[in-house]
Amino acid sequence: MAEHKVLIMGVDDDDPLDYERAEMADLDVEFVKANPDSEGEAIELVRDADALMMRSTPYQGEQVIRAAEKAQVLAVYSHGFNQIDTDVCNEMGIIITNGAGMCMEEVSNQAVTMILCLNRQLIQYNERTKAGNWGRGGGLPSIEPIDQQVLGLVGLGNIGRQVARKMFNGWRMKVIAYDPYCPPWIAQEYAVEQVFSLHELFERSDYISVQIPLNKETHHLMRKEHFDCMKPTAYFVNVCRGGVVREVDLIQALREGKMRGAGLDVFEQEPVDPDNPLLKMDNVIVAPHSAGQSTRSAWLARQRASQQVAAVLRGNWPSAGQNPEVASSLKRRDRMQSLEPKLEASREVLPMAVLPEG
Amino acid sequence: MADETMRILYLGPEAGDTHDASTTEQQSRAARAYGAEFVQYSGHSEGELIEALKDADCAINQGHDFEPSMFAHMGNNGRCKGLVSFGHGYDGMDLESASVNGVVLSNTASFGTEEVSNQTMMLFLVCARKFVLHDKLVKAGEWTRQYLPPMGHISGETFGIIGLGNIGRAVARKAQAFGLNVIAFDPYRSSWDAKEYGVEIVPTLNEVAERSDYVSPHVFLSEGTYHMFSDDFFKAMKPTAYFINCSRGPVVDEPALIRALQNGEIAGAGLDVFEQEPVDPNNPLLKMDNVGVTNHYASYSEVAWERANTQLGEEAVRIADGYWPMSLINPDVKHHSPARRDPISWEVMMANR
Repeated sequence: MAEHKVLIMGVDDDDPLDYERAEMADLDVEFVKANPDSEGEAIELVRDADALMMRSTPYQGEQVIRAAEKAQVLAVYSHGFNQIDTDVCNEMGIIITNGAGMCMEEVSNQAVTMILCLNRQLIQYNERTKAGNWGRGGGLPSIEPIDQQVLGLVGLGNIGRQVARKMFNGWRMKVIAYDPYCPPWIAQEYAVEQVFSLHELFERSDYISVQIPLNKETHHLMRKEHFDCMKPTAYFVNVCRGGVVREVDLIQALREGKMRGAGLDVFEQEPVDPDNPLLKMDNVIVAPHSAGQSTRSAWLARQRASQQVAAVLRGNWPSAGQNPEVASSLKRRDRMQSLEPKLEASREVLPMAVLPEG
Repeated sequence: MADETMRILYLGPEAGDTHDASTTEQQSRAARAYGAEFVQYSGHSEGELIEALKDADCAINQGHDFEPSMFAHMGNNGRCKGLVSFGHGYDGMDLESASVNGVVLSNTASFGTEEVSNQTMMLFLVCARKFVLHDKLVKAGEWTRQYLPPMGHISGETFGIIGLGNIGRAVARKAQAFGLNVIAFDPYRSSWDAKEYGVEIVPTLNEVAERSDYVSPHVFLSEGTYHMFSDDFFKAMKPTAYFINCSRGPVVDEPALIRALQNGEIAGAGLDVFEQEPVDPNNPLLKMDNVGVTNHYASYSEVAWERANTQLGEEAVRIADGYWPMSLINPDVKHHSPARRDPISWEVMMANR
């Protein structure tokens, strides 16, 4: 019997698991691929697993996690891990890892794209021109000089910093951010002015872009009271998770002209209801939660998740561990030498070096 | 009767330290704003310090002796939960002893990032432009260009950084402005961070030595980094390459550096730090025309020191009020300490108070 059993949920039976195998080549691992059809089946599968890799499965609820008595780590492939009950994992001593960095470029580019499209009225002009309607203005709002405008970021983590860098270095925008967890020296490094209330951010910004995780603290973080203090000429962009916004308040604010428009990659309910009023508004541009997509992010997600699991099985704290508070209940903490992540430069870096640029 | 008032204990500079002991206005700012008491330690013995720690929620150390044995009276064993120290380096600190006792340690992270990175760029230019030699020649009345070659173009050359922390990243950003390609060795830095900074991470220290035209460590001093740069490293460097050090002297095996310079294995050096400080006036490094030196002041400016002094107080209040500090230097303490809240911005703490 192999030393470690790694259960991968939601993966095709014929998947060769190239990345998973490569990253754990030095470990004695048995991989088990599973596509459970019921929670009961999932519960049986996780019982003797040392690591859970949640690729795509609806069965990630509390009962499943509680059954994972041996598990040291639960890896999700995406950035967001809002479907996982962090409190239960903490109690069980299971480290949660995410795909940190697997789609930073992609998501930040989506935010930049939304900002530019809104600024340039591009989607609206595209539709008009294709409909044979040649003409500028015609009821569309003015186009403001973006280099004299203020970008307000909610969240200055991996993705927020990239949006800041791109819009400051590339477009010379003034960037402000609300992120009470961001050390001041990081904000300074990115030439970002930190503000310390969401209201101030909403009042001062011409564009607001949100890149935060969805969790208990951030659910409906942005609601009527914030949209009410926006400039009527400002735009709201969301490329993270729909649930951080109270969507009925956003719809109302758009109807009442509290803001000029919005760019949305995400919705409270996904797939979005075809009758959602947001889809009928000319000043709202949308995408189907596609911000993280690219040919690279598809494989990088698998590599990243595999590296995280490998780190834990080797007895190291993973570089993308998401629940540091689990430290006090770690099952195998006698094996975990340090809470400082130990990265293996060659493994982490060589695949990145062959990435196509841009 | 329980003493409810939050109290910060300040261990000020002892005789001979470079800190100005005449005022603690900056160090006490956070405590005063937060409604905490700021107490200056005035004792002289171990016993007096143990007693003082019993009445404090967190301690600040600025140039005071602090023995690791004190940790046995702190953290899980007493009222005082943490110690915040002035500066970047924590080479004098016994991290493990603090961690096992549940003592939270913090420093004044990044206070001098601009200053140290600027000092690094200055010493790099002093080396690259052969400033020390020509300053001396011109002042001695010798006007000549015969010593200029070999001299690099800078733009397009390679700058190697060891340690891509706050300072390393600032150096990288500034070096990139000169058109330098920046490579770095840092086994603790994730690949996505490196990509974000436009820096190529190389897998070995040796590769930094072999490929770089300028090498600059930005690591802290620990058992793992002590004499990290020795004969092997200098022999692997290009004979036209320069070694800059604004981190800590003992990360370099100084006799090995001196040999490398004397044997022409490297082209020169720019040093703010030495193995022994103050530096011995007879140290051969001080006599070399291809070596630029300063007296360990890389982090200094009034702005930086004010920032460090106020940061001391803010971190101490975070620890005293049940938060983790923004700059936790012994993360392993999480194995041994009760849960704490994630650190948040000082302005938000004040608003929530």
